[in-house]
Amino acid sequence: MTADEIRGHIDPIRDQFAEGRSLILPALKFAQTEKGYLDGADLEAVGEAVGLTTAYVESVATFYDRLYLQPTGRRVISVCINLSCMLRGCDELLSHLTGRLGLPSDGGSTDDGAFTVQQAQCLGYCDRAPCLQVDVGETQGPMSLDDADALIEALRAAPTPDRLWR
Amino acid sequence: MSDYAPVNLSAPDQIEFELNRRRLAAPAGTMLVDAAYAHGVEVPVFCYEPRLGGPIGACRMCLVHVEGMRGLQTACSTQVQPDMVVRSDTDEVRDAHDGVLELLLANHPLDCPVCDKGGECPLQDRTFKFGPGKTQFVEHKRHFPKPLDLSSLIALDRERCITCFRCVRFSQEVAEDGHLIMRERGGDSEIATFTGDHYTGRFTGNVIDLCPVGALTSVPYRFVARPWDIKNTPSVCGHCPVGCNLELTEHEGHVARVTGRPNPNYSVEEGWLCDKARFAYPEDRAPDRVRQPLIRDAAATREVAIEEAVEAAALLLGRDGPHAFLLGPGATVEEGFLAQELASGPCRGALVAQLGLGDAPALAGLRAAPAAQLDDIDRADLVVLVGGDPANQQPVVELRIRKAVRGGGRLVSAGPRRHPLSGLGPSYITPPGRLLDGVRAAGPAFRAARRPLVLWDEADLAHEPAAAAELAGLLGATRGARQLELGADVNGAGLSALGIPGAADLVAALEQGTITTLLTIHAQPAESAGAARWAEALGRVGAVVALASHGGGIADSAAVVLPAATHREQEGVYVSMAKRAQRLRPGAAPPGGAAPGWELLIALAHRLGAAPAYRSPAATFAAAAAARPALAGLSYDVIGELGALLHAAPPATTNGAVGGGGADGTGLPLVTTLRIFGDAAAHRSDALSGVRQGAEVVLGAGEAERRGLAGAAQVRLQSPHGACTLPLRVDPRCPDGAVHATLGVPGAGVERLLAVDRSPVRVEVTAA
Repeated sequence: MTADEIRGHIDPIRDQFAEGRSLILPALKFAQTEKGYLDGADLEAVGEAVGLTTAYVESVATFYDRLYLQPTGRRVISVCINLSCMLRGCDELLSHLTGRLGLPSDGGSTDDGAFTVQQAQCLGYCDRAPCLQVDVGETQGPMSLDDADALIEALRAAPTPDRLWR
Repeated sequence: MSDYAPVNLSAPDQIEFELNRRRLAAPAGTMLVDAAYAHGVEVPVFCYEPRLGGPIGACRMCLVHVEGMRGLQTACSTQVQPDMVVRSDTDEVRDAHDGVLELLLANHPLDCPVCDKGGECPLQDRTFKFGPGKTQFVEHKRHFPKPLDLSSLIALDRERCITCFRCVRFSQEVAEDGHLIMRERGGDSEIATFTGDHYTGRFTGNVIDLCPVGALTSVPYRFVARPWDIKNTPSVCGHCPVGCNLELTEHEGHVARVTGRPNPNYSVEEGWLCDKARFAYPEDRAPDRVRQPLIRDAAATREVAIEEAVEAAALLLGRDGPHAFLLGPGATVEEGFLAQELASGPCRGALVAQLGLGDAPALAGLRAAPAAQLDDIDRADLVVLVGGDPANQQPVVELRIRKAVRGGGRLVSAGPRRHPLSGLGPSYITPPGRLLDGVRAAGPAFRAARRPLVLWDEADLAHEPAAAAELAGLLGATRGARQLELGADVNGAGLSALGIPGAADLVAALEQGTITTLLTIHAQPAESAGAARWAEALGRVGAVVALASHGGGIADSAAVVLPAATHREQEGVYVSMAKRAQRLRPGAAPPGGAAPGWELLIALAHRLGAAPAYRSPAATFAAAAAARPALAGLSYDVIGELGALLHAAPPATTNGAVGGGGADGTGLPLVTTLRIFGDAAAHRSDALSGVRQGAEVVLGAGEAERRGLAGAAQVRLQSPHGACTLPLRVDPRCPDGAVHATLGVPGAGVERLLAVDRSPVRVEVTAA
């Protein structure tokens, strides 16, 4: 994505932030909607648009789990692995999902580019554990193993979103 | 490194507080860690480093108990308050220190026996002093492939990092190069550069000093020595006239490392060094080092004993004169004074001159204005930079200017070249000879300023008397305005204080063929300004005696070569551009048969039958101070560890750059530039081989187009004094109306284009 496109997104919201530096997150999130991940050129474009060095942009991008510096599958499934979910069976949920998609037990991306499964820190749905989230959609739970199977089928049938908000 | 900020316990308005049941006082605004340290109580820190800006409280090492406050407080980010009651010795605090150290060590490897930092490591020392002694962790520690080359100068061992952020803050907030970052988060955090590029810059080595663990280490010093097998000596840098205070590490008889001083000189370098100061030391053992005395005649060159060489030199200088003594910019005050003593004694009538700029009359008005020291830059609300390129020529000044601008000061610059600081404020680029326009453009800024500070470049202003006079007028008319000279020659101020003039008369005398013997002292005339004329003139002298540390140039043709110590190997005094006399102390003995210059010159005086009444550098300096009013009141004791200011002005001499004339020759005016890693020292040091810079010619895009040179790879420059051929770079940002060429690069020959007094020239540029 080019610096101009990013400016087009952040200029209207610039006055909502006390510090110009704070625009780095909305800029990174927007830049990621193009390909679903950020490459070096994207980081440089964000740096140019926000007025920070590329190195600094990279330090921020690597801090956040939901900013991807490698290609992901078309849909990203984040399975919560924090305390409540762990007590309610997230290990089984995660291994069921990864097993079904033929992925390593701690997550990864499918060869056909359809899915990425990753671990997530608390998603705030402790009362409905175990939970998971698809892209940045509504968190879902409690998820039984059957629910997980149904979710995969539904996602396979669904069209790919035109903007990849992750 | 310094770790704690200096605290002035005798300042007025002290605040009283209580620490560990003692009633103490410190100035308002002092941080608790600093106040405690000033009173002899060490509160351990890792991330705290006052020179990097405000505290960040990242490492949690400095927890103390403050009565009335909930939980323990970080002493690095808590200011002393009236009647505050602080305890750093309770069980609760000790428990916290144990816990924090245990966490910092959770991933830190126990490889201290093979770690370069081991033995001089704050983490090791503070674990020993404040730590728990054993750990509850049984988990595996982090492992990485090691080491990672952060650059050709710095190695990174990621598993040793305790994520204190000191190096990142230095890169982001002091050098402002923005290269270093912390990647990832929590237990995965690691220091990196963008996409793994090398960490490049002018000040990168400071992160080695800053690192409180062995994560960032020096590549040239890696695995060279253990801390108990070295000796550290405080000395002064001899690569530019800033005079940064530093420490020399001796190992197995030679200087094996250069670092900032543990107690920085806050009036000079504030503990920061440029990479040339830090990594040029391998030049002391370069292949072209002169290790043995040489006698050269038509038949052969012989290595001889030092007595024989001094005898031969005395024979040449004992002939009927007149003789001439030429001092290089790096000669010490003692060497200069001994040359003068020879000229007033056994070699009566000898000409004594320095290769440097000397005392330019055009600059007298500026030098008479109230003078500033480097730390005054921090506090200036307006910095006016006239001429020069401090980032490359007086590097540490760049950090001071950046600090002033970060603190809200304004920078206005005017001069003939664009440089790394041009972007920090309004910048007026003027063609050579028209600097007056730039000074006038910067003039209005003075009116709004309360503490303006003018940094002016000696070499640029020496030939711009109108600009110098205008600037002196502005300084005189502005209350509170002060000036600081950006000097051209390492010890130019010291040699001028002795009254040693520039070399115009000396070169003329050489040309007339009247000089019997020329003695050069750390001087390379044929590689200095006016190189072509020097080469011609040197052909007409009877004999040359060269006192030199390295071969090449005059040492390859002199009849007698006396092998001399470098500035890292001898005692002496340098006077910085801020007129601060500072002591060189030998970090190691010179190699082979080499000896300090002062010793060789005293030996020569003995052989010439005029034994001086002193036989040590301290006594030589005392004699110089007694004889020269500009050095009055100074002695080695007075200079001490941190230096002392010269109070009297140097005597006026002739033969400095006169200035005022138009540029010689036809074609485009020549603007010379210097590059930090582009001088002989940087080219000799193998440590700097990865960053050393060559010479080039730079033209603006319009100028190159007009002259049909846009596609030329090499161009020939021809001035009335000489010619040279260099690679051409066309830079759209380079101002038109001048041609820029790199001075000082060995073998490049830009010096041939210049006159001996470095007066302005025009050059014809043609494709080569």
